[in-house]
Amino acid sequence: MRLADARALLPDLLTIPGEPQADRRLIETLANWCDRYTPWVAIDPLGGALAEEGSEACSVGGFGGDAGLLLDVTGCAHLFGQGEAGERALLADLTERLARHDLTCRAAMADTAGAAWALARFAERQADLFCPPRGHREALAKLPVEGLRLDAPIVETFLKLGLRRIGDLYPLPRAPLARRFGDQPLTRLDQALGTIAEPIEPRRTPPAFRTRLAFVEPIGRTEDIAAATSRLLAALCRQFEQAGVGARRLEIALYRVDGSVDRTAIGTSRPNRDNPKLMKLFEEKLGELDAGFGVELMILAAPEVEAWDGTQDQLPDSGAIAASAGEEATIDLADRLALRLGAENVVRLLPRDSHLPERVQTMGAAAEPAPASAWSRVAGLKGARPTRLLQRPEPVDVMAHVPDDPPSIFHWRQHAHRIVRAEGPERIADEWWRPRPDGSRPPANTLPPYRDYYRVEDDDGGRFWLFRDGPYRMAANGRPTARWFLHGFCA
Amino acid sequence: MPVISPSAPAPLPANDLAAPVAADLREKVRRLERAHSAERAGQQAVTVGVPAIDALLPGGLLTGALHEIEAGPAPSGRVAPHDGAALGFAAHLLGRFGALRAGTLLWCRRPFGASDSPPYAPALAAWFDPARLLMVTVRRDEDLFWAMEEGLRSGLAAVLGETRATDLTAGRRLSLAAEKSGVPALLLRSQPAPPQSVCTTRWRVASARSHSTPGLSDVGAVRWRTELRRNRFGVPSVAETPTWLLEWNDETHCLSVVPQAFHGSARESDAQILGTRLVG
Repeated sequence: MRLADARALLPDLLTIPGEPQADRRLIETLANWCDRYTPWVAIDPLGGALAEEGSEACSVGGFGGDAGLLLDVTGCAHLFGQGEAGERALLADLTERLARHDLTCRAAMADTAGAAWALARFAERQADLFCPPRGHREALAKLPVEGLRLDAPIVETFLKLGLRRIGDLYPLPRAPLARRFGDQPLTRLDQALGTIAEPIEPRRTPPAFRTRLAFVEPIGRTEDIAAATSRLLAALCRQFEQAGVGARRLEIALYRVDGSVDRTAIGTSRPNRDNPKLMKLFEEKLGELDAGFGVELMILAAPEVEAWDGTQDQLPDSGAIAASAGEEATIDLADRLALRLGAENVVRLLPRDSHLPERVQTMGAAAEPAPASAWSRVAGLKGARPTRLLQRPEPVDVMAHVPDDPPSIFHWRQHAHRIVRAEGPERIADEWWRPRPDGSRPPANTLPPYRDYYRVEDDDGGRFWLFRDGPYRMAANGRPTARWFLHGFCA
Repeated sequence: MPVISPSAPAPLPANDLAAPVAADLREKVRRLERAHSAERAGQQAVTVGVPAIDALLPGGLLTGALHEIEAGPAPSGRVAPHDGAALGFAAHLLGRFGALRAGTLLWCRRPFGASDSPPYAPALAAWFDPARLLMVTVRRDEDLFWAMEEGLRSGLAAVLGETRATDLTAGRRLSLAAEKSGVPALLLRSQPAPPQSVCTTRWRVASARSHSTPGLSDVGAVRWRTELRRNRFGVPSVAETPTWLLEWNDETHCLSVVPQAFHGSARESDAQILGTRLVG
C-alpha cells in the first residue's frame, strides 16, 4: 500500500520517515556492544534493517524491520555459570542489560542459529525462548512455518496446503518437497535442525587470544584503566607462552556503561610477549581512551600473533649478546616511535639493484635492516652521488658553450649559478626491462631513453647534480634544445 | 695557660672534618659549573680526524653531548642554496661516533615542504653503513625532539636531528639526555640559527670551491669552509672563531686541512676557465 492510499483511508495517520542509515548505525552499535559476550557476532543478513530501500523482496516474508543479531556463544556461557544455568544466565543478562538501555528485544538461545532465529520471533511463551540442549526439534515443531526463513511465495503455498507448523514438514517425504519447492525449504529445515552446518560470519575476525575483565563497579580513572590493562596483559602473556606465540598487534576495548565501546590498538614490529614492553607501548595509547561515564568491562585481544622465535632473555655478557641486545633496544625504540609517528615514518633504508638513482634507495620495515655490506656494494659501483637527492627533479634553465658541453650557467629558483667546474657525463639509461609507469612495454629495437648526469660546481662552491633528459633535439626554430633538471645536492 | 700562637697549625681533628666537606663542595661546584673534562665525567670522546681541530677540543668530540652543525652562507654572502656540505660534515661526525660504538644510528628529520629531500644513502655510505640508519620522519618539531630524546635514552650509537627550529628548552633537554646516557646528539640545521648556549660545540659549514689539477675543469675533492663557533670545555683558540678549509678525500676517506694560500691560487686558475661565449 502506498502512503497516499493509506492517508486516504485514515487521514489522521501518523507517519515517521524510515531512516535505514540510522537503523544500520544502531544495529552496528549493538553488535559492538554484544562483543562483550562473544567475539562471534554477526548482523542477521535477513534482518529488515539490511533490506535496501525499495527492494521489498529482500525483507523476508513480512518480518521486515526486525533487525537481528546472531551470537555464537559456544564456550562463552561458562563465564556466567556452569552448564545450562550459565547459558540461561547469559540470556537473562543480555535481555536485562538491553532493557536498561530502553531497548525492547527478544532473545532466544538454541543449538542452531536457525532454531534461535525462529524462537526469538515466534515463541509464544517467555519460557520457550530458552531451548535446552538437543531440545530444538520439539521446540521448532510447534512454531509456524514462517520461522524457517523462507521466501514469501513458498510460505504462502505452505499455508494454502495446510502446512502451518514446522512440525508438519517433519514427516513429509523429502524428494517431492524438493521437486515442488526447490532446495530452500529443505536447506532451511536442515539448518534449523542442525543436520547441516550454518556458519556465522563474524563482523570482525575473532582473535585467537582474548582476555576479559569485568568490574563490579564501573571504573573511570586513567590509573585504574592502566592497572586493569596490566592485569589483562599479564593473563594474555601467559596464554602466549603456553601457545608459543608472540603478539604483533593488540587491541583493547573499553565497554562503557552507556553501551558504547572505545577501542585502541598497538602494533609491534616483531612478535612480542614481553609484558613490561607491551605495557610501555600501551601507556602511550591509553591516554587516547575515553572512559566516558565509566567502564564496566575491558577486553584485551590479540588479532595478530606470530610464532615466537624465542630469544633468550638473559645470558652472560659477551660481544654477540651485547650486539643483539642493542638490536633489541632498537626494535623497542622503533615500536615506540612508530606508535606515535606512524609505522610508515620509522623506516630502514634498503638498497635496490637498479641503475636509476631514484630507485636505488627504498624504505623497509624497521625490524629488518639491510645486510651489513649491501650498501657499500651498491655505493662502490657508481660514480659520485649527491648527499641529498630531490624526490622530483626540478627543471632548470641552462646555457652551454656548445650543445654537448656541460652548462656554463644554470638558473634554478630565480638564482643564476655560474658553473666553474663540471664532471661528466655519466650516462644512465632507462631500465628497458621494466614496464613503463603507464604499464606499456617499450617497443623493441629502440634505444631506451637516457639521462646524462653532470656533477657541477658553481662559483660559490655549491655542488649540484644536474642531468640532461635525453639528447639534444632540433626545435622548430632550428636551434638545438634539451631539457635539463637538477636532481641532487652534493657535499 | 697555653697560648696558641697565630702561626701554630690548626688543630688536627677539625682539619680531618673539613677535608671531606671541602672536597664535597669542590665536587659540587665542579658539577654546577659542568666544567669537567671528558674523562672526569666518564665520557668518551672521538677525534674529528683533523689534528688542527682536535687540538682545540677536549680530547675530541664528547659523546654525551649535543653538537650543532649549521649550513653557513656561501662565500659570496648569499644564502647557501643547499646544505649538502653541512650534511656531509654531519655525516662525517656521525661516522666517527658510529665507529666508536656499534649499534643503530637514529636520523630524525622534519621536512619543510615537498622539495626538502631526505639524505641519499649511496653518498652516506662513504662515512658509515646506511644499513645502520633508522630514518624517522616527523611533522612537528615537538615530535622531532621527542623522538631524539627517546633515541638518546635507548642507548643507540648516535642520534641526529634535522630541523630549522630553535627551541632552547628542547636543546637543554637533549643536552641533558645525551649527558645522562653518553649517547652523542647532533643537530643539523639547513640555515644558520641564532646562537644558543646549550650545545657543546657548534659548527658552521659552507661548501667551498674545490681544486683539481690545474688546467682541468673537473670537480676536485670536496672542500668545506668549517667554523667552530662554539667550543665548550675546549681549548681557547687565538682566533675568535677558528676557521679551516677542510678537504674530504673520497678515496682515502680522510678529512684534512687545506693551507689557505693554496686555496687562493686555486681561485685564480678558476678564473681562466670561466668562459664568456655562451650558446643558449
